[in-house]
Amino acid sequence: MTNASEVLSSIQSAFPGAVLDSRVESDRRLWATIDSKKILDVCKHLTNKLNFDHYSGSAGVDWIARNEMEVVEIMASHGAHKVVAMLKVKTPRENPSVKSLANLYWNANWYEREIWEMFGINFEGHPGLYPLLLSDQLIGSWPWRKDFKGYPDLTTGERAVAITTPEGYTEYRFPPTPAEVEAGAVVAERPKYPTFREREEREIKSDSEMIMHLGPQHAMVPGPFLLDVLVEGERVKKGFLDVGYIHKGIEKIMENRTWLQGIVYTDRMCYVASLSNNECYCGAVEKILGLEVPERAQYIRVILEELSRIQSHLIGTGEFLTLVAGVGYAPWQYMIIDRERIISLIESVTGARLTHTFVRFGGVRNDLPDDFAEKCKSTLPYIKSRINEFIELFAQDAIYQKRMENVGVLSAEDAKRVGIAGPALRASGVAYDMRVEDPILVYPDLDFKVIVGTKGDCADRVDCRLREILESIYIIEQCLDRIPAGPIKPEAKIPKKVPAGEAYYRVEDPRGEMGMYVISDGGDKPYRVKVRGPFYATLQTLPPLLEGVYIADVVAIAGSMDGCPSEADR
Amino acid sequence: MLKRKMIKNFGWPLKTAMREIEVTRLYPEVMMELPENERGIHELDATTCIGCASCARVCPNSCIEMVHFKYGNPLKNKKMQFPQVDYGRCMFCGLCVDECPVECLKMGKKVTMAGWEREDIIKGPDFLATKRFSAKEVADLEAEAKRIAAEKAAAKKAAAKEKPAKEGTAAGNAKKKADAKPKEGGAA
Ligand code: SF4
Ligand code: SF4
Repeated sequence: MTNASEVLSSIQSAFPGAVLDSRVESDRRLWATIDSKKILDVCKHLTNKLNFDHYSGSAGVDWIARNEMEVVEIMASHGAHKVVAMLKVKTPRENPSVKSLANLYWNANWYEREIWEMFGINFEGHPGLYPLLLSDQLIGSWPWRKDFKGYPDLTTGERAVAITTPEGYTEYRFPPTPAEVEAGAVVAERPKYPTFREREEREIKSDSEMIMHLGPQHAMVPGPFLLDVLVEGERVKKGFLDVGYIHKGIEKIMENRTWLQGIVYTDRMCYVASLSNNECYCGAVEKILGLEVPERAQYIRVILEELSRIQSHLIGTGEFLTLVAGVGYAPWQYMIIDRERIISLIESVTGARLTHTFVRFGGVRNDLPDDFAEKCKSTLPYIKSRINEFIELFAQDAIYQKRMENVGVLSAEDAKRVGIAGPALRASGVAYDMRVEDPILVYPDLDFKVIVGTKGDCADRVDCRLREILESIYIIEQCLDRIPAGPIKPEAKIPKKVPAGEAYYRVEDPRGEMGMYVISDGGDKPYRVKVRGPFYATLQTLPPLLEGVYIADVVAIAGSMDGCPSEADR
Repeated sequence: MLKRKMIKNFGWPLKTAMREIEVTRLYPEVMMELPENERGIHELDATTCIGCASCARVCPNSCIEMVHFKYGNPLKNKKMQFPQVDYGRCMFCGLCVDECPVECLKMGKKVTMAGWEREDIIKGPDFLATKRFSAKEVADLEAEAKRIAAEKAAAKKAAAKEKPAKEGTAAGNAKKKADAKPKEGGAA
């Protein structure tokens, strides 16, 4: 089995002098600063020779004190080994530019676009560096740089000015101050590039084709995102995605809040997965602090995260079934009723229904109430019987099968290549689960299976989720049997300031691989928090998946991904 | 065969409808039973709050403001400042509760707070306090506080009196010293 130091020595021997700095944190984590000229070759080497076939994302960091910027590429493997390589590439702060990996890894596209629009780091060779999350007006102000003062400029209090265009529309502009224009600190003219509309209209090749808008407000979408499909007759020729409708800038907000206050923002990235988001952030901070979580607290975390997975899968599946609507018996209501029981169970521990703010650095907020095990013993078997009933119902419903089977098929090869995550990946037969790949808490001691599908179609994706619920119930039952008595928080007080350091922590979100990259500069606030969300990866794969399908299937395919645009936009 | 199965599927909601009762149509006639840990509207024990404003500092939304309130403990809370929560902004995260050093801030099971205007949902200590002193107790405590303050002031005065005396003697000593060492005096 490959480990981090072997990976490092392999890179060093293949490319002498390419590794400028390195740190082997553990067997599973390698941190290395790579010469910016060699990054493409190193990545190729990792992928071809060392099985790093999973490009997991990248993060930009603005080191204003050192006058340089950094792009951190996160590389992992789909099960061949468990090393995560964090490769850093440095570039000066004036005209920052690094080599693009988008031609090597298909899914690097969005990550690099995001870094470009937020930090202004150019990616040489990127196929289409267009704004992703930000509106076109904001390009050029590079909002996530450390010296960004706010937009409109908060130092001058300048607000938007309404202008009536010759066509009679009202437009809003944020004028730069004369001083700024003189100093060249702002982009007076926005860079010229085609807008989203223009880009998609370019693709219309004949009169028989047209563009159909699904969203941003549409019954299909669980939150606002725009899915435009170019159709010819009944067939979709191409899909276009526009996201950023609920971009909240949570990563930037967290830089301006204390470590503790950051927890509440992780809740709000995706409220059905708030517990695993809490876990991910707290886990990363614990790693920097070097904190050991008491065993009882670990069990409580596992129990609640699995409960949260159950409720998330229930709402995800239920929502999806309303979309395909072919099923006359509308299980949505019944799934919501069942979910209500799980929510009440979680609420009896955390005190909140959705936004829990429950996990703390080194522990949890509350202990389990006395009657919790009893309540679980009455609720879980009921949920189990219901899930079995649902599986049976779907299996014998001809309408459902006609709509779902062999629709939106994603082969294992493609699923790996496009970097999709979670149940959607496992439905294609790739057993990739963070609970096994990057085990945290007491997961290594627990017995559970990674649920995989066979065909990778819509039916498989739903089936995977339902069977995962059964597996989660099994995990919770084990935990309840084993949970020891003891403290739920560390004895020592948690310091307000976190020592300088960095950590990358991954958890298995209900939607897949959720990772957080947290950097501390020794202050009372995080220096940078990068959230690598699972649905961001899944959403990106939608357009290629939609090519060539019927319009009626678009909803089935998009819905079966169990989306959360709020988390993709952050 | 398939058809029969599908008819069975359509029968399923009928079966479940008989079993399930109303889930959502309870409120406001029937209040859901809330767990002990519920994070609802804050409950303030005004008799123990020390007015340290830790809760106000930790709140991520800055919705706590420290305001004056009469029925607290003037012995512990000298300026009589107590938290007032703006429920238009509060997200019930409970960080303020965790941060309170004397555990006088809790969150209870009360969750209704609707109002017609923005100001109606800014709730002061008068609304939040579940435990408070009566006017008489406060008067007594204030008297006590005054007495202590007076005692302290007296002690201070005495100390102050003593001090000039001491200083006087010190000055006297210095003088004597200066007298004893004319060299130094000359240097000054
Ligand atoms: S519960 Fe949270 S948001 Fe509300 S007052 Fe307390 S700290 Fe502030
Ligand atoms: S409620 Fe607690 S934290 Fe807030 S001022 Fe009073 S003693 Fe301090």
